[in-house]
Amino acid sequence: MTIKQAGTIKRAGRWVLACASLTLVAGVGVAGNTPGDPAVQVALGRRLFHDGDLSVNGTLSCATCHDPRHSFADGVAAHPGAHGEPGLRNVPSLVNVGAFSPLTWGNAALTSLELQALVPIAGEDPVEMGMKGREAELARRLSANPCYRKLFKAAYPQTRGRIDFASTAAALAAFQRTIVSHEAAWDRAATGGPALSAAAARGERLFRGSAGCAACHAGGEFTDLSFHRLAGAPEAPANGDFGLARTSGRIEDRGRFRTPSLRNVALTAPYLHDGSAGTVAEAIARHGIALDPADLSAITAFLDALTDTAVTTDPRYARPGPACEVS
Amino acid sequence: MLRNLGGFFLALAIPSVGFAAEPMAGHDQAACAAPAAVPAGLAGWSVAHAKVKAAVKPTVAGKALLAQGVAADAALSPTPKVAYAIEPGKPGGSVSYGGLFAFDVVQAGRYRIAQSGRSWVDVVVDGKAVASVAHGHGPDCSGIAKMVEYDLPAGHHLLQIAANGEPGLTVMVAPVR
Repeated sequence: MTIKQAGTIKRAGRWVLACASLTLVAGVGVAGNTPGDPAVQVALGRRLFHDGDLSVNGTLSCATCHDPRHSFADGVAAHPGAHGEPGLRNVPSLVNVGAFSPLTWGNAALTSLELQALVPIAGEDPVEMGMKGREAELARRLSANPCYRKLFKAAYPQTRGRIDFASTAAALAAFQRTIVSHEAAWDRAATGGPALSAAAARGERLFRGSAGCAACHAGGEFTDLSFHRLAGAPEAPANGDFGLARTSGRIEDRGRFRTPSLRNVALTAPYLHDGSAGTVAEAIARHGIALDPADLSAITAFLDALTDTAVTTDPRYARPGPACEVS
Repeated sequence: MLRNLGGFFLALAIPSVGFAAEPMAGHDQAACAAPAAVPAGLAGWSVAHAKVKAAVKPTVAGKALLAQGVAADAALSPTPKVAYAIEPGKPGGSVSYGGLFAFDVVQAGRYRIAQSGRSWVDVVVDGKAVASVAHGHGPDCSGIAKMVEYDLPAGHHLLQIAANGEPGLTVMVAPVR
């Protein structure tokens, strides 16, 4: 992705949020709006994103793992499921996730956020939110809340506000597409703002040059969205996770994982697909890249320049209050 | 950052309320054949537990008093019935469980909230959530799934439990020695 493309996504995200804000601040009823009103879909998705009722026992919401304060990751190696089932993979950040396809660490078939949402909600490999086979229960819970009934009707009038996995996933996807972050020091420098520090600038040259990082961490989102195997990856991983091969069934896909974005990487430790690297330096070393301390420090300074803390405290992503967004 | 403390692990927390009770990817208790011994600081976990019914509003939390160093098998209430003093960091859904407890701190210092589940924990002092200083899981096979530590002043304090998956939870407050 080019910087120009990233800018387009950023503007699109802002437009959706601005539209949502205008509608919601005005406090108007939206039931009569045009079908598929994006502002209401975003508001609904945000409320769902923070709601523990999307998990079997009410303990996990999307935000439990994708915590805005951790740049929509969660700071642990692999989050346990709703009943304490051992987690398998490190929670990826959702920053700029609307620009990504495929999604997640190891499934080329998950090409949209709508498809992806059902993996944590109803997936079994591993169990996360534990709602497989409980679509009716989800509808029962959400329907008991008058605000949800209004929001679903306003967001999806073409189905008369039917509450099911599909409409829930669609709303979650609408919200996630608004999680846009392009306000890092690197963005500002790239668009004529203050230049990067000397160390960060040198780190970027190394990143794009001799260190070879940009071969996979490419473009404005620092990912090629492709699946790769690290040179030192074990043939038999301790947690039994064979990466892309879990879904493709192909031996040659063993150990291949999708390149993660490096946006806000300083805020999303631990690293790698299993969260086994506690620091950026350790993660770099696991790539089989030998750097002297000065070069490592420079690349780390560059990666720090990809940090946008504003996204972690933006009230538009926070858990909504009890007041319903629609009247 | 980890520090090994008698066979269990505590991650030192960023001093922020927002990180007060992060869930930990700990040991799978289901894989245990028998309960494991616990260090001296958690000895109350291994002896007879008290029984307590969690309060559903702060004004009656004193009736759900947790004694220091005594594990209590607590009966929680459905989340919609609980009126918290402050909004929990992660409140849980309508089908989760929660409740309120009180406990006394005679001497200011570091105290640990240990629990059998992974519920969200807030310690409320003077109407505000106290930032945790460490969090982690208990010794493997001890039945302690999660622990959070706080530096607390002397006084009568409020403990909020939220987003628990079951109506029962064993919880213990104990000084960190």
